[in-house]
Amino acid sequence: MFYIHQTCCISPQQTYTDPDINMLVESAGNKLTVIEPSCEGIPMKVLRRMNKGVRIGVGAALPLIQGLQELSGIIIGTANGGMEESILFLNQIIEYNEGILMPGNFVQSTANAAASQLSLLSHNKGYNMTHVHRGTAFENAVIDAAMMLKENRRHSYLLGAVDEISGYNYKFEQIEGWYKKEVVSNKHLYKSDSPGTIPGEGAVMFLVNNVKHNALAKLAAITTIHSENAMTVKHIMEDFLTNHVLAEGNIDLLLTGEDGDNRFEHFYLQCEALMDSNVTVARFKHMSGTYPTASAFALWLACRALTSQTLPGHMIKKQGSQTGYKNILIYNHDKGKQHSLMQVTITADGVHGKTL
Amino acid sequence: MSRVFITGIGVISAIGNRVAENHAALMMGKCGISRSGGFPSKYSGILPYGEVSLSTEELKERLHINDAGITRTMLLAINAFDEAVQDAGLTSSQLTSGNTALIGATTVGGMCLTDELYSDANDVNKHSPFLSSYDCASAFLYMQQRYRMNGLINTINTACSSSANAIMYGARLIKNGFATKAIVGGTDCLSKFTINGFNSLHILSSDVCMPFDENRSGLNLGEGAAFLVLERETDTVNKKVYAEITGYCNTNDAYHPSSLSGAGDGPYLAMKGALAEAKLSPGQIGFINAHGTATENNDIVESNAMIRLFGTPPAFESTKSNIGHTLGASGAIEAVYCILNLTYQEVFPSLHFKQPITGTGLQPVLSFKKTALTHVMSNSFGFGGNCTSLIFSKT
Repeated sequence: MFYIHQTCCISPQQTYTDPDINMLVESAGNKLTVIEPSCEGIPMKVLRRMNKGVRIGVGAALPLIQGLQELSGIIIGTANGGMEESILFLNQIIEYNEGILMPGNFVQSTANAAASQLSLLSHNKGYNMTHVHRGTAFENAVIDAAMMLKENRRHSYLLGAVDEISGYNYKFEQIEGWYKKEVVSNKHLYKSDSPGTIPGEGAVMFLVNNVKHNALAKLAAITTIHSENAMTVKHIMEDFLTNHVLAEGNIDLLLTGEDGDNRFEHFYLQCEALMDSNVTVARFKHMSGTYPTASAFALWLACRALTSQTLPGHMIKKQGSQTGYKNILIYNHDKGKQHSLMQVTITADGVHGKTL
Repeated sequence: MSRVFITGIGVISAIGNRVAENHAALMMGKCGISRSGGFPSKYSGILPYGEVSLSTEELKERLHINDAGITRTMLLAINAFDEAVQDAGLTSSQLTSGNTALIGATTVGGMCLTDELYSDANDVNKHSPFLSSYDCASAFLYMQQRYRMNGLINTINTACSSSANAIMYGARLIKNGFATKAIVGGTDCLSKFTINGFNSLHILSSDVCMPFDENRSGLNLGEGAAFLVLERETDTVNKKVYAEITGYCNTNDAYHPSSLSGAGDGPYLAMKGALAEAKLSPGQIGFINAHGTATENNDIVESNAMIRLFGTPPAFESTKSNIGHTLGASGAIEAVYCILNLTYQEVFPSLHFKQPITGTGLQPVLSFKKTALTHVMSNSFGFGGNCTSLIFSKT
């Protein structure tokens, strides 16, 4: 499909500058919120108008695109982009009884705020797209990037995902029972054996093109599944593994979005059961928390595993017999309804000491 | 890469609940914009709107839908979707095939339930059945379940160009082999949220909008939905085919969050890129369904961009003078209107135009005409600088 050349990640862990994921940053108040960097390079007056989602999206993207001569377009996945601003504007409407309102929140309330801010800041007049299909918003952005790069062999795109914990989406999801009622630390997320998970947020950006040389990783294949039926999901997974994944060689690492919600864990166990016994199984939601575009964080981790050839112990669920990582499968689902599989492989250049 | 054909269309707007009603109204130059306003807002009945004549309850009855958490946005979408699927004669196994994609677009989503959302967001003790219906994806997640679809599903939100991008994305999925059929479109309904939003920007006209007129005074909001069934060429043998999608291009104006640049680079590059994709020269475009919102900013910028690209622009009009600006649905609704232009070889009158904009001298089509058309273009521009142009061609 395409090659990943640079990445930048703002997450609840130390992933932005001098990434160190061996030390696990603990959750607070049953949430994993991002460590927000100071966004240098964004004019103060622009920064002040941005909500957190747009701020971290722009913050993670700018290091990859500033000064870049050949960016062909910007492709972003976000489930809740603009939600916070929408509710701020809504509150104005009700509280001022549809009187004279400030338009700022309204203008920033559309989900394309991050992608459009990035085009503004980088003066990029190319392709500009925002995918918002909740639990597969990032995956649709990946498919879009893959198509753009098939149609335009020499292009480079900024591909990314951003979602924040806004007060409102947090409240709705909590009422609907998606978060744990008891106090749980992310250090013990997988032992909780109760319904719900802990929410997270993040902004992860990738610079992608068709150039194999010096790439961090190759995104080799992707599929999405919309089903609540375990057998349907299993059959599509098996087909995908047979027809796409195994063509690239045996998987050595399965990275799953297991998130401590005992109602939907069976999907992850089912996927693990499809793997050979020598495959290492690792998890990431105790680092990122659960949010609709968390699979982008998993893709960042996969790039890191391929370049560093190690993963911290706290991620490992089951140590396989193979040493080193060459062929990684990411499986994630959102609320047991929207599933995705992404295959990430090492480039022919092999490990070249390039760090993220 | 396979050619992509349109084999089914469905639309609901202020001028009709089905394609045939919309077509008849366009031919007659009917304006569906009025001060009626059956939705909860202080500005209901005061400002003019392009409102769908069916109430939410009537839509539910018509579609036999009683599920909790259903929004008007979803009902409009389902009404148009059903018509398009039936028109294309898709069987239930074709609809549920893993190779049939659903690509939807909306900007308002469940935010049409402005009061319910306010109460859910701010009252700790109460919650409505709509908690998971507010986001944009909810409409298309519901439709995917309703029709048991198994192909690729996506929701796009690039503001007012959303459903033009849904059409483009669906066509590209087929060309790239991710789907063999794609049902693509958009939906948005009138809401307190968008009315107050556009009102706060002072771009709502207190009269019926006058696209491309010197004395235009802003846009009218409208509502509606449209869907198109796209199929790869090899699957359309012995089938009715309306048109081919030959060109598309998405650009960003990179100038301002809520207005277009004076130079109009975004609109210019979108139209130019769509021509390049279709391998056409400007002179081959016979007609343009312009974005034409009737705001001060859009119409002058779009006019100048058309002049910059075409020299003398081809015949053009804005159907927003019939139905208002339907936001995320507008690209798909206007695509259906372009397909009617091509199918029946005719152009419809742009309404409420009196005087050309000083400096451009451009005059939209003012009366219904039969005319030979081979290639037509549709423009959609949105907040955040998102611009998309599509080209449909006679097969």
